[in-house]
Amino acid sequence: MLELAVFEKMPDQVKISHEELESSGFCENPLFGCLVAEVPEEHKSKEGFTVVGYGLYFYTYSTWRGRALHLEDLYVMPEFRGRGIGKSMLSKVAEVAKKMQCARLQLSVLNWNTPSRDFYAAKGAQDLTAAEGWHLIRFDGQSLDNLANDAPKD
Amino acid sequence: MDFSIRAANVEDCKDIARMIMELAEYEKVTEHVKVTQRDLEQDGFSKNPFFQGIIAEVPEQHKSSEGHVKIGYALYFYAYSSWSGRASYMEDLYVMPEFRGKGIGKALMSKVAQLSLAAGCKQLNFTVLNWNKSSLDFYISQGCFDVTEKMGYHCMRCEEEALQNLAQP
Repeated sequence: MLELAVFEKMPDQVKISHEELESSGFCENPLFGCLVAEVPEEHKSKEGFTVVGYGLYFYTYSTWRGRALHLEDLYVMPEFRGRGIGKSMLSKVAEVAKKMQCARLQLSVLNWNTPSRDFYAAKGAQDLTAAEGWHLIRFDGQSLDNLANDAPKD
Repeated sequence: MDFSIRAANVEDCKDIARMIMELAEYEKVTEHVKVTQRDLEQDGFSKNPFFQGIIAEVPEQHKSSEGHVKIGYALYFYAYSSWSGRASYMEDLYVMPEFRGKGIGKALMSKVAQLSLAAGCKQLNFTVLNWNKSSLDFYISQGCFDVTEKMGYHCMRCEEEALQNLAQP
């Protein structure tokens, strides 16, 4: 995750720990699902890792189409790219979506990340921001606290 | 005007389905709506629901011109940010036109924020069409920021044939 954040030029945005991932993803009602790509010991990375990629996803809902799946992260370590590992993981996530009767697989990509944009476009993904004008809007930190404080008292 | 904001229950699905269609008409996309009242009942009120709902209700004496007392809703679900952990995503926020300008939309959104914070969420996210100036202005005035503008994220989607093709081994 940190490697991916460095690639996206936002390493200071990573606030969660591996302990939090353990408790959030592997409890009775997990908040996400995750796939990992693994290579045999003899093909391990320069630094000795055999887990060389991951895909993290969660279920969402569209009031138009019903169940959907959001692919939050898809990452393959640089030295293992160009071998179809990313494509395999993406297909596997799509298979999960189908099994759960999801009508859509969604994700977000940085506008300057041309290789990723091309990769997803080649797989048939539409860019909803470019095509239809959808923008992602967020409340966090102080603005989220302020909004919550305005909620009507029960 | 007097109104109440409360968590949705399974009996609200008929009115939620009605208002989903009203919102789709406003967004000019009615032909895209495939979700039925039954889908909402199954997907929102089972053991592991796919979404949470909030309803805005008015007293009988203030009912709409067509006789409805459930006059607004918000629908949200829990997401996950691999950078900051649990997050909330607000899929829909809608108030019937004749009840706008009374703070009901703001009250619905605040309730989503309150419940999301209580559930441990660090973000509340949603999407808005860039031509929907009145909604964008409303949200910005409430203190949020445009992630697409600021950070350059584009929303991508695979569905129907593209999704089928992707799921082939």
